[in-house]
Amino acid sequence: MKSHRPLQLYGVIVVLYAVLMGWWVIFLSGEGTWLVRDMQRAGAELSTAQAETLIAVTARTGKMFLAESAFLGLLMVGSVWLVLRSLRREALLARQQRNFLSAVTHELRSPIASAKLYIESLQLGRVDPSKTERYLRHAQEDLQRLARIVEDLLVSRRLQDARVDVHLEALDLAALLAPQAERLRERFAAAGATLVLHADGPVPARADASAVETIVDNLVSNGVKYGGERAHVELAVRAHGEHALLEVRDHGKGLAGADPRRIFEAFVRGGDESVRTQQGVGLGLYIVRELVAAQGGTIAAKDAPGGGALFTVSLPLARAAEEGR
Amino acid sequence: MSAERLLVVEDEAHLSEVISDNLRLEGWRVDVVADGATALAAIRADRPDLVLLDVMLPRMDGFAVCDALRKDGNDVPILFLTARASADDRVRGLSLGGDDYLSKPFELKELILRVRAILRRTEWFRAPSPAGDTLQLGAARVDFRTQRAQVGEHSYELSPKETMILRCLAERPGEVVSRADILDRVWGYDAFPTSRTVDNFIVRLRRILEADPREPRYIHTVRGSGYRLTP
Repeated sequence: MKSHRPLQLYGVIVVLYAVLMGWWVIFLSGEGTWLVRDMQRAGAELSTAQAETLIAVTARTGKMFLAESAFLGLLMVGSVWLVLRSLRREALLARQQRNFLSAVTHELRSPIASAKLYIESLQLGRVDPSKTERYLRHAQEDLQRLARIVEDLLVSRRLQDARVDVHLEALDLAALLAPQAERLRERFAAAGATLVLHADGPVPARADASAVETIVDNLVSNGVKYGGERAHVELAVRAHGEHALLEVRDHGKGLAGADPRRIFEAFVRGGDESVRTQQGVGLGLYIVRELVAAQGGTIAAKDAPGGGALFTVSLPLARAAEEGR
Repeated sequence: MSAERLLVVEDEAHLSEVISDNLRLEGWRVDVVADGATALAAIRADRPDLVLLDVMLPRMDGFAVCDALRKDGNDVPILFLTARASADDRVRGLSLGGDDYLSKPFELKELILRVRAILRRTEWFRAPSPAGDTLQLGAARVDFRTQRAQVGEHSYELSPKETMILRCLAERPGEVVSRADILDRVWGYDAFPTSRTVDNFIVRLRRILEADPREPRYIHTVRGSGYRLTP
């Protein structure tokens, strides 16, 4: 591997340096004794005290040299460790990029392929009249799927450039989510998934309405996706202390050992790309995390008691935010 | 003649619907499965005439399905349909024993033409050969139906491609058959990027059938043109 060659060279230098240090240790530890012997051979008459002083002085210089070179050695080993760490990060990033390309390729080409075939079949008059309606509907769903992916890509691009504008205002999360939950319920009914909204009374939060809608849409879609067959997703909003909590829970396999922080990174998806089990490009949770952060909130994921994954979004309560100003 | 049976292996419900509808309209019988493991079991249980195989599949990818089938000795024709369009993927699919490779998105007409071409090739291969069912080359005797070669005491199993190449040559004994002709009949138009592939198969055939593969008695190379079989 080409990128590892400088690293190997550096390793050789460190090893040479260690050998050199070993030699210094041997040399310096004997230097005082040799000096006294050489002086005596040259005819100098040294008292025991004088000889001991000479040995002590050279030993002190020796220790100083050793300390300096040990420090330099540590510095070298430390920098090798830093270089290795950044190489590993780069490799991880490259793998994520490949994952991303592979996922995006598949996610974009599949709906294009089916929409194209539906339309071609209609154009060529190869469709039974009873199926025309169905073909048109499916082609339209393919285009909607495409539009959603493209939208995700654009939003995440804007988020990466930190160009996202949120307009925080006091709003009631319970009232905001009721009609959205209804829409989501309809959208996922075809896939056999169910959704319930738990809300006991108004939950006043200081948030951006459209950001909250995107967050809920992505978290619920995620729950449907990873919730197994006939997924059941629960959405709950409640006030807790100074915070408005928004919880989304599914009954699937849960995090299955995945790092609860890693899953929010861009282009990270459960499983291997070549053995695909899920649609998507791995941007949904990344977008959620960024939008939550932009509103001054926090998000956490964990395994729910009794199975499934639980995502908890915490946003400032409107009251608390008002008083804090 | 009963209609050929095709198996569509595709996890995208929309794609498998529109593909299978259109294939049925051509008069073929079509079954659909949505993941690699189910596909493998279905093909092993009841071999279809052609498999249209997606590569990115849940549970087991298409390349692995193809590889497992070929290792079983199952020579069911496979047409890869995939969103992966790099040259590497294409070569990988074909070297694993796929018969053709179509990348998404594709034209409806092209899909149907390719399916028809693969079916025609296998039909030619299944029909009795005008050259007869066996071919005698000195001490070697090849049976096209069992795809075996008997050389003295030894019996060799020939791959479908090797058998097809040999049949191609045997149907025109003494004539020069060009590499392009062989590629066309055995692999179909643009499936393989190089005619070197044919040469590799010829090398193996000579090793089995010729007493001295370096001084061939029966399968001759005609420099610049192709091959000639002299029984």
